[in-house]
Amino acid sequence: MKGMLPSLLLRPDTFFSERTKEPESLKIPGIIVIIGAIVAAAASYLNSGIYEGLITAAAGEGMASMLGILYAVLGFFAFIIIWWVVFAGIFYLLSMAFAGSGTFKRTLEFAGYGLVPVIIGSVISLLVLLYYLPMIEVPVISNIQDPAAIQRFMSEFLEDPAFREFTQIYAIISAIFLAWSANLWIFGIKHARTLSFRNAIIVVLVPVVIFMIYTLYMAFIGTPFSGGL
Amino acid sequence: MKNGSILGLFALVACFLLISFAAAQDPGDSAAQITVSSVDVNPGVFFEGDTGIITIDVVNNGPESVAIRRATIYDSDISVLSSSYDTTTTVGAGNSMQFTFTVKADVPPGIYYPSFSLDFRDAGYLRYPVQIRVENDPLEISVVDKPDTYSAGRKDQIDIMVGNPRDNPVGSVIVNFRGKSIDPAPSSYFIGTLNPDQAQKISFNITPGEQTSLDIIVDYKNGVNPHTSLVTLPVRFGESKKQAEPILSNIIVEYGDGKYTLTGDVTNAGLEVANSVVLSVGDGAEPVNPYREYVVGSLQPDDFASFEITFLAENTTQVQVLVNYRDIDGNPSMRTTPVVIPPKTSAKEKSPGVATPVIAVILISAALIGGAIWYSWKKR
Repeated sequence: MKGMLPSLLLRPDTFFSERTKEPESLKIPGIIVIIGAIVAAAASYLNSGIYEGLITAAAGEGMASMLGILYAVLGFFAFIIIWWVVFAGIFYLLSMAFAGSGTFKRTLEFAGYGLVPVIIGSVISLLVLLYYLPMIEVPVISNIQDPAAIQRFMSEFLEDPAFREFTQIYAIISAIFLAWSANLWIFGIKHARTLSFRNAIIVVLVPVVIFMIYTLYMAFIGTPFSGGL
Repeated sequence: MKNGSILGLFALVACFLLISFAAAQDPGDSAAQITVSSVDVNPGVFFEGDTGIITIDVVNNGPESVAIRRATIYDSDISVLSSSYDTTTTVGAGNSMQFTFTVKADVPPGIYYPSFSLDFRDAGYLRYPVQIRVENDPLEISVVDKPDTYSAGRKDQIDIMVGNPRDNPVGSVIVNFRGKSIDPAPSSYFIGTLNPDQAQKISFNITPGEQTSLDIIVDYKNGVNPHTSLVTLPVRFGESKKQAEPILSNIIVEYGDGKYTLTGDVTNAGLEVANSVVLSVGDGAEPVNPYREYVVGSLQPDDFASFEITFLAENTTQVQVLVNYRDIDGNPSMRTTPVVIPPKTSAKEKSPGVATPVIAVILISAALIGGAIWYSWKKR
């Protein structure tokens, strides 16, 4: 375990090559993913405060506090499912096109290791969120049953400069650290599925680049969104 | 003996003559046995044109019956509507008899004395003047208290006194209120009998819907004759001089957290208490939580309370602040105060700008990650 993290981050090829010699185990990747899920849950909980006014108007004070907990739970499981299971699944399926061999468990294990940069990015994003949160002015909804009022609420909310700025910075940080994770995944998938470097790059970069472009597009051009990594 | 017989016969004749003389006494003496025991005039005092009833009781105070041939009443001014008693009747010794006449006072106010006439069958008659008073004083309606002005839909109380200046009681006194859209409560007031020089105070409420006139009508009966007194009050809308007057002061309007927050003091500058004082926003603003409305409650004269209301306002520089309150009777009133609001000088207009530490973190992260990636490929 000692020296595992520097090896993973700086010499991933060597790291994953050594891992392939050991039996498949999801223990350490599982711990990594759960840490990431906890960070995502915390970010989701903080984000729910932004929508507190809307939820209070719709369902009352009690529901607003309940929603924060619900949001955190959703963020927790969303991180595990999307960032780990879905990405590993996509890598596994795409690598099949290149006659990749190796079990899904090994792919899942290496995909979990590759999430370390994403988790570091999540922590930084969380700190940035804490910086921007007091500056975000959440508009007040006058009548939850009035579609025009809801539309006005969303329009004012999405136009909030602090919120827009946070969304864009969040997208940039996500893209930077996702690129780092992609780098680890390339080496991980190469070893997990016994692919060439070229094929591993294709398998990893296709979904990652699509996701990255989507994230940056929504942050800078499309409708901004808010959520944990 | 002969002289004694003659003297006895003379004495017998003398007694017989005395008895005969007593039996054939003056018919005027028989009439003198009849006297008027009581006279009742209803109503006690007539209005001009009133119809009334005169009831006269006679009693025979003598030891013998007296035959009455005719009983009537007559006067050159007072009209007698009923017929005279033309049938011969007898009033027994110690008995009484009642005669009733209907008269109509088609005469100017004054005192009249129609004569009651009783003609006896045998001889003689009885004349008795009956006093009839005619006055045209109606019941007096005095407005004791009334509002200076009225408001549409506001309930106001009016106090009146109904007095009887006549010398006789009047009955079936009913006070009615008439007018367009006045909604009186109670709708009428029954007093009953009002004795001479007596007054009855009445309080009633009206809720006018429009400017109109209020007729206070007092219907009553003088005997069997219906009469009416009327007083008309104008109902004009306007502001009461004593009404509560909530004034807003110390107003501060700030924009923050996506909404305007208006704080200030509301002071009752009027002379009456303002109940159920509620502040809200009107035209140009849309109330939002947490203070869509602010309930101050009761405000005594010269008392004040602080308030806070929150609202949204788009494309306007002025909003109306509404102060709704009620008077002591629950009549609602509203006062509107225009308030100028500042523009939205919030964070929306001054972008926070990307903080230097954030930029530094991004740049350092990018550099470190770039280096790590480069290193990982170099050392593979």
